[in-house]
Amino acid sequence: MQSFFSNKKAIAIFVLPSLLLFTIIVFYPLVQIFIKSFYDWNGLSSGTFIGIENYVRLFDDTTFRISIINGLIFAAFLTIYQIGLGTILAFAASNIKTKAGGFFRIVYFLPVVLSVTVVCQLWLSVFNAEYGLLNKIFEIFGMSFSQDWLSDGNTAIYVVAFVNAWHYLGYQFALILAGIKSIPGHYYEAAQIDGASPLQAHLRITLPMLAETYRFCLVLAITGGLNAFTQMFIMTGGGPGTATYSLTYMMYSSSFRAGEYGYGMAAASFLVIECLIATIVINKLMAREKIVY
Amino acid sequence: MEAVIKKSNRKKVRTGDIIYKIFLWVYAIFSFYPIIWMIFYSFKNNDEIFVSNPFGPPGVLRWENYVKALTQYNVPRYFLNSVVISVVTVVLTITLATMFAYATARMRWKGQNFARIFVAIGMFIPIQSILIPLAVLVRDLNLANKYLSLIIPYTAFNLAFSSMVLYGFLRSIPVELEEAACIDGAGIFTTFFRVIVPNLKPAISTLTIFTFLQAWNEFPIALILITKESMKTLPLGLLFFQGQFTTDWGAMGAAMAIASLPTVIMYIFFSNQVEKAITIGGAVKG
Repeated sequence: MQSFFSNKKAIAIFVLPSLLLFTIIVFYPLVQIFIKSFYDWNGLSSGTFIGIENYVRLFDDTTFRISIINGLIFAAFLTIYQIGLGTILAFAASNIKTKAGGFFRIVYFLPVVLSVTVVCQLWLSVFNAEYGLLNKIFEIFGMSFSQDWLSDGNTAIYVVAFVNAWHYLGYQFALILAGIKSIPGHYYEAAQIDGASPLQAHLRITLPMLAETYRFCLVLAITGGLNAFTQMFIMTGGGPGTATYSLTYMMYSSSFRAGEYGYGMAAASFLVIECLIATIVINKLMAREKIVY
Repeated sequence: MEAVIKKSNRKKVRTGDIIYKIFLWVYAIFSFYPIIWMIFYSFKNNDEIFVSNPFGPPGVLRWENYVKALTQYNVPRYFLNSVVISVVTVVLTITLATMFAYATARMRWKGQNFARIFVAIGMFIPIQSILIPLAVLVRDLNLANKYLSLIIPYTAFNLAFSSMVLYGFLRSIPVELEEAACIDGAGIFTTFFRVIVPNLKPAISTLTIFTFLQAWNEFPIALILITKESMKTLPLGLLFFQGQFTTDWGAMGAAMAIASLPTVIMYIFFSNQVEKAITIGGAVKG
């Protein structure tokens, strides 16, 4: 048995392809981000070492500040919409006794399986200033203001965040609902005997029992928000002006549009660190609330 | 007295039920109507979409929108590219991850824990952040605009998650399985393919769906690594419809409907497995 499990040839065949692939395609580029962020680099030559100059410039750049703030807005919006609304909907779905629960699950989840391009273009046509669904609805109710939703620098980031939130609500909903269903029924029976209302039961039993689920949901929503890129790229192109820039968008445009790869890498390394800190903080905070029954 | 309490309780439950249901229905409409609206306008002409009938179902089904999307534009080509890339990614990811997970979960060698944790890093890195060095790497390896230029990164990114799930699953399979096979004289490879892999079926089927959806919908990497029209995947190809079609919403809607059909059908048929595939993430990640 010992020789069976320590067959060197088999281990090499099983492990090496994955290790090689991962090291070359994921780990090596990850190291490159941090190294090249100290270089003035155009993506072609090997570049010149310039110390922390990229970072100094980054912290002076208003676009960088806008990108950071937009990332935080995006993350907060996703958290409130997907986890807040997702929780309420999951509570409601777990409370109704009919088979319709399955129907709602499918309907809420359907957008998740749509391509991000389809979802963005669908909402572009909803928000279209001239012919969009939203302005048409306003027309019906006799409201004359037709709004160019995506061209307003103040609202554009929320519209873009909303589209992402709408797209993946079903995902968080399914996670939370699965979490609720895994809670043993006799907790609720006990609560009911003690005279607790369904709402009280949810607040006192469901929420604390879902700490593990929420930990994952939060990581998803917050890192998803900090990473936002595709919605901006398709719906606003970062505009109007730089109003909907995110860190990834900034990295993309300074590298591939302005050719300043080193500067883009500085933004990228900031993004990696930001996501790492967010994940660690969420894990620390939620771990403390872990309750064992 | 008891009867009264019971009655009032029941009544409360029922009004509660109605409120829950209204709430669920409102969001269901909000979630579903935009998609239906898109399907509706994929069958309409501009006059119907903009003026005469913006909300309701089409009066006449204008299939010519679909014919146009299929014949005049590259939709079938994008579709084929997406299918090839997603399917190969799934096969490669599952194969590599299963072997890797088996070696780290079961076999004994120096550095097995290190290797497992090293690959697990992949789950905590935002994919987009390594786009630039990845693009440079793909260019230097002369892979740009080939199927492999997407298949290789997609496989590498999905490897971390898949092998973590399989690792957890393998730990729950009793070692006696292999011991019995070993006593019967089976070698490690025979045991792996004949005994272990069949036992991993539930995990493999959920991971197949999960990986397929990831590859099918991936956008940023495709955007940067694919520039040739004939190599574009659906999410990328549809993007450039916007420019060509700004005045022709019907054909754009048709193209988007065609692009969505496979995943929607797959979801409706396998909705339980798909949700299991999605929620399996909750158990491992985070």
